[in-house]
Amino acid sequence: MDRSVPEPDRQGGAMKPRWRVLRWSLALLLLGLLGVLGGTAVGSQGVQAWWLGSPDPVVHQIIWDIRLPRSLGAWLGGALLGLAGAIAQGLFRNPLADPYLLGSASGASLGVSLYVSLLGGSVMALGWWPRLGMTGAAFAGAVLAVMLTLFLARGVQQTLRLLLAGVVVGVVLGALASLVALMSPQVMQTMQGFLLGSTAFIGWSACGLMALALGVCLCGSWALSRVLDALTLGESTALSLGVPLPQARLLLVGMLSLATGAVVAQMGLVAFVGLAAPHAVRSVVRCTHSGVLLLSALTGAALLLMADVLARSLTAPLEMPVGVLTAVLGGAYLLWRMNRLAGGRS
Amino acid sequence: MLKHCLQLPMLALMWGMLCTAAQGLTVWDDRQQPVVLAKPAQRIVSLLPSLTETVCALGQCAKLVGVDRYSNWPESVRSLPRMGGGIDPNIESIVAQKPDLVLLAGSARGIERLQSLGITVLSLEPRTHADVQRVLRTLASSLGLSQAEAEQVWRTVDAGVQAAVQSLSAQARLQRVYLEVSPAPYGASESSFIGETLLRMGVRNILPAAMGPFPQINPEWVVRAQPDVILAGDSSRQSLLQRPGWSQLRAVQQDRVCVFSQDQADVVMRAGPRMAEGARWIAQCLNRTARGVP
Amino acid sequence: MSMAIQACALTVALGGRTVLHNIELRITPGRWTCVVGPNGAGKSTLLKALAGLLPVTGEVFWLGQPLANLSRQQRALQMAWLGQGESAALDLRVFDVVMLGRLPHQGWLTAPSTQDHAMVEAALKATQAWAWCDRTLGELSGGERQRVLLARVLAGHAPLLLMDEPLANLDPPHQVDWLEQVHCLRSVGTTVVSVLHEIGMALHADDIIVMREGQVIHHGGAMDAVTHQAIEAVFERRIRIVPLQGQWVVLPRI
Repeated sequence: MDRSVPEPDRQGGAMKPRWRVLRWSLALLLLGLLGVLGGTAVGSQGVQAWWLGSPDPVVHQIIWDIRLPRSLGAWLGGALLGLAGAIAQGLFRNPLADPYLLGSASGASLGVSLYVSLLGGSVMALGWWPRLGMTGAAFAGAVLAVMLTLFLARGVQQTLRLLLAGVVVGVVLGALASLVALMSPQVMQTMQGFLLGSTAFIGWSACGLMALALGVCLCGSWALSRVLDALTLGESTALSLGVPLPQARLLLVGMLSLATGAVVAQMGLVAFVGLAAPHAVRSVVRCTHSGVLLLSALTGAALLLMADVLARSLTAPLEMPVGVLTAVLGGAYLLWRMNRLAGGRS
Repeated sequence: MLKHCLQLPMLALMWGMLCTAAQGLTVWDDRQQPVVLAKPAQRIVSLLPSLTETVCALGQCAKLVGVDRYSNWPESVRSLPRMGGGIDPNIESIVAQKPDLVLLAGSARGIERLQSLGITVLSLEPRTHADVQRVLRTLASSLGLSQAEAEQVWRTVDAGVQAAVQSLSAQARLQRVYLEVSPAPYGASESSFIGETLLRMGVRNILPAAMGPFPQINPEWVVRAQPDVILAGDSSRQSLLQRPGWSQLRAVQQDRVCVFSQDQADVVMRAGPRMAEGARWIAQCLNRTARGVP
Repeated sequence: MSMAIQACALTVALGGRTVLHNIELRITPGRWTCVVGPNGAGKSTLLKALAGLLPVTGEVFWLGQPLANLSRQQRALQMAWLGQGESAALDLRVFDVVMLGRLPHQGWLTAPSTQDHAMVEAALKATQAWAWCDRTLGELSGGERQRVLLARVLAGHAPLLLMDEPLANLDPPHQVDWLEQVHCLRSVGTTVVSVLHEIGMALHADDIIVMREGQVIHHGGAMDAVTHQAIEAVFERRIRIVPLQGQWVVLPRI
């Protein structure tokens, strides 16, 4: 047996991945910028080259107050979903994990359906309920669902129990949301619109909220990226490496819920972005979680932005719900990867 | 002499106050929230068909600049630009039309978004006969019309309904009715808008008020209740006979089933100024089935 | 001389069932101890309990210190753990996996130092895995992956090494490599405790712990005849341990 030590086929070391991550980040940021610019040019009035100038103040208002926050909101929402997906897949060590795993999506749906049915019911609704707004109701529902999941799983000690509790809560709350919708049928159309996702109602304040959530979650999860790396080797190994697993898990779950709740409250349910973005990143770049988290956020942002621009332009002046397009795009990508997996690894 | 000197400025002051009072209109929406208009609305976007019809019934059709995709009466409305549905309005199209008032239902999304863009939003959703009257009055105020004009429209509508009620023969009134709204099946109970019309006519509804306005009922219930007449929309026609046990229903066997075309269904189901027409069709149907003529 | 690991009245219950009953154990530092026994004897559980990865009743001491008194980082610096069949990390680069072994030595958010790099390179070279440092784990075969995980354990340079089935998927040449590695580690004073079901390999250790049904049947030198008899007994005398060319080999008793 040859006992000499062969040199690595490529120049090994930690320098290379860092540059790769940087290059891809810049490329994705550029893509995002182009997308936002494109998003401001597309709308119900068709494609307009607004930069050629127009004296009409309404056009000005449409560009600045409607299209720009929508496009930016789509970018921020996609970033939050991509980040949440990367956290979920790292935390649960499952490539099929997505941001809605802990029941937050179903909780948000329940919040929205309760809100709309109570609102449509009596004029004298409970004082603070109407002021909460649909976004507030969705966020409250998402938070309550995650708290219920944590309670059922009795803390974050066991990953499997957390997963199961999340699935149970998701299913039960989803069923309750459907029940509420059935009992007051005027709610059903609203719920359908909510379930398909839309960036139509995102304003500057919504953008601000999502940007804040993105900042917090990105910094927090980046600080815990080594924990996610250690977790890939197994829970016992991670514990043996001195990782403060229970606290880190709690923080990561918290950030996962914050990110998901923030997006679902503003946009409704947008599928596949959180699932596909981390997959795409890992198939192209090899790096640790500190890179994966950032790139997943940027990839998710670009994905949702593209889908939003397409949704608004394909059937202008009508709008397709963006959730339909993300399902088609994300689903097609995952199908393609499945195909490669089946063909490549035989 | 002093009294005359003071009278002029006093009159001027009062006139000034009246002017400013007339300038700022305050109307009340469904949630009892005040909505302030600087002056009567000139460019209106309506996202609920019944509200579109109410605006036109008050003779102010010309002020409409945009409607939702379901508004289809009167004919002139069909050529107006569509702004999405009531539930999913297209914010950009609405803003592009520069409206000074947007009418929509309370359950519509985007109320906060429109308000944050500086657009005045009035949230109205008529669900009872009394609601129709209230909405007429509210819209009249916001359009700068007098309450008397609103009352006149209401009186015409109400008289029409009353005429329809009185046109019912004695046999027709004895019938027990089931009105189906959509093929799930969703029925209209006594507490719904149409149920109220039926109550005024004195016919009995097999769905009591306690079930809620539009309950999704078990088809078995209808079989057990054995209504004398079935009123349904066009979309239900296909599935009616395929439900188990329904072909044996007395109403079906004696052909006492009235099916409304899509246009007729629109009129019957909408809580708007055409409710007299809807009541007339229901009355015609009930009279026909009472006589036993298909 | 304080014991490398000492267990007093160690009892472990999993899922309501008592898996380890009142274990008393003293493992001498600087020696390689092997735990053998039939399936279900509780070998892996014992190793996990000694590593402080399971809730236990009783006391575990490392180098004279009770485990409960040590902070998480102190424990990580003193002990390196290699679990059985745990990994799911197919997307991580080999270099990054081995760098994780340096985690206890690194500050919270600091980048790896040159010393970390040097240790990782040395560990990879020791397990003949340096050529793949830029590949992902998913691109390697089972045996190659195991060597990378071994390198991760070596990179930490901990005085205590606990390994559960370290020879899984390794072909004979690499099993021999591992053997040589352990001898090397032992010569610099590292304490190695491993669970092996390859009795032939286990007989190269310094001490052997024989287990059955959650209890330690025998703990003694690997060369002693008493130990060999205990091993044969615990496997229902289906095997024979005989000397051959200066080593001990296991033969089936047919």
